[in-house]
Amino acid sequence: MSAPASLLLAWRSIVQFPRNPILLGFSLAPVLMMYLVFGGLFEGVTRLPGFPTDNYFEYLAPTAILLTTVPGIGNAAVALAADFQSRYVYKLLTAPISIGSIVLGRLIGDGLRLCVQAVSVLVLAIALGAHVETGIPGAALMIVLGTLLGIVTFGVLTANLALRTKDAATVQALLPLAYLLIFLTSAYQQPEQIESPVIRAIIDANPAEHVLRPMRELMLSGYDWASLGLGFAVIVALGLIGIPLTIRNYRAVYR
Amino acid sequence: MTACCPGLTFGAMPKRTPTVRVNGRDKPKQDRLEHVLDELVQPTPGVQDLRSEAIVVEGLGKTYPDGTEAVRGVTIRVAAGECYGLLGPNGAGKSTTVGMLGTLIRPTSGRANVAGFDVVAQPQEVRRRIGFAMQEVGVDAFATARELLVLQGRLHGLRRAESGRRAELLLAMVDLTETADKRLSEFSGGMQRRVDLAASLIHLPPVVFLDEPTEGLDPRARAAIWDALDRLRQHLGVTVLLTTHYMEEADRLCDRLGIIDRGSVVVEGTPAALKASIGSDSLQDVYLRYTGHAFGPNEGALIAMEQAA
Repeated sequence: MSAPASLLLAWRSIVQFPRNPILLGFSLAPVLMMYLVFGGLFEGVTRLPGFPTDNYFEYLAPTAILLTTVPGIGNAAVALAADFQSRYVYKLLTAPISIGSIVLGRLIGDGLRLCVQAVSVLVLAIALGAHVETGIPGAALMIVLGTLLGIVTFGVLTANLALRTKDAATVQALLPLAYLLIFLTSAYQQPEQIESPVIRAIIDANPAEHVLRPMRELMLSGYDWASLGLGFAVIVALGLIGIPLTIRNYRAVYR
Repeated sequence: MTACCPGLTFGAMPKRTPTVRVNGRDKPKQDRLEHVLDELVQPTPGVQDLRSEAIVVEGLGKTYPDGTEAVRGVTIRVAAGECYGLLGPNGAGKSTTVGMLGTLIRPTSGRANVAGFDVVAQPQEVRRRIGFAMQEVGVDAFATARELLVLQGRLHGLRRAESGRRAELLLAMVDLTETADKRLSEFSGGMQRRVDLAASLIHLPPVVFLDEPTEGLDPRARAAIWDALDRLRQHLGVTVLLTTHYMEEADRLCDRLGIIDRGSVVVEGTPAALKASIGSDSLQDVYLRYTGHAFGPNEGALIAMEQAA
């Protein structure tokens, strides 16, 4: 029995990642640099009353994971658009598979790459004195949450853009949006320490915030099942919005 | 001949029979294709079994949302084992027609059956039974030739070992064994086209669509593709529908031709019958007679000048 097409195509991505060291290097290096720079710059925040930890790198680690996974999943769409531009996607479509399995294969392949990269972020955090309160299971859960958020938000959005435009440059132009999604959360400081009520309202409305919070709790305090449940619910809800959008855009392929 | 330089000798080299490595064994090169094709079909007898008509197209049309009518009521029938050519200049509707038959483009009118399945209602069944080498070769720059073929085979449901075995045989068939593990980005256009052709055959389809299979190739590479197609038909009995704007290619490969102009097939028949019908030995004249113009305005003007001279 042969493997499902999406897994075969995910394997294709995984085999090819080491052949593109620039992708691997430049998708991780800026995150690690930002982590080191911001961790050093905002170290004083830990002295504010009520701050949950005295190690700012510990507070910042879940943010660094999101900075890896959310913009990083954009590569799946860039690669998909490149397959359109090279017309290889049409070769794949002469096999009895759907465009859905091609998109899913890319997302799975890049999702696994991002999991590995997120592990390296956590390793750096631990080297800088951070401690994962929930241990290895909690760390794994944190990475799964971060990767799934990347797939259902930026991954789905950019994959649809790739289906619609078939142009890698257009997809790349959307990358700054991923950073906006993360910066408008409690990524760098706790919401109660943010003075602007408008910004606080935006943070509360940002779905990424509801995934980042349980990730931070896994890092700093332990399992909060209600918070985790809300995080996964947000991911499922975003997926339910993204799937019909993707189905609609399939028509752009079969003209 | 005598040696003129120390350490170097010129003259007749000892004769060696050219060999090629297939599945780990050296075979004489002249027997290579026969051997490869025989070995390829052995475990899958009956692969070429098809009903009498492999392709049935009735009134097929494609109008794009902007109103462009690319194909208008194409009707053709291709018998199993036949090589049918759609001959026409760029923009005549050949690629759109083949794209619809290959399930990549949705028709807006008419119907088409390939290998007994409807291209709109049963696209997956059609894809299981067709090989499709497109005009613009689509290759994965980060993959090797072998990886590309193995993946294509696996997407067609082959096991890894069988897909690998066929990949090796097909790469030998298109003379790319030596470069099988090089990345496709390092391949020339002609080599990529040969890989694409091999990938189209990995699942031994009974029907093969070839959209301008030798476009942009030099005469030697073109002859190699023609040779491979001849042998494929002999050994596998595949039905081939190819599009071309090369008269020589149409004449050389096709049992029957359909001349397509502005989205419609205006006349069809064997190359010999078409030429006899106008008392000429040139398909160019056939095209001119049945369409009222030559291949494109410039070519038409050139022919008119030649005729006037």
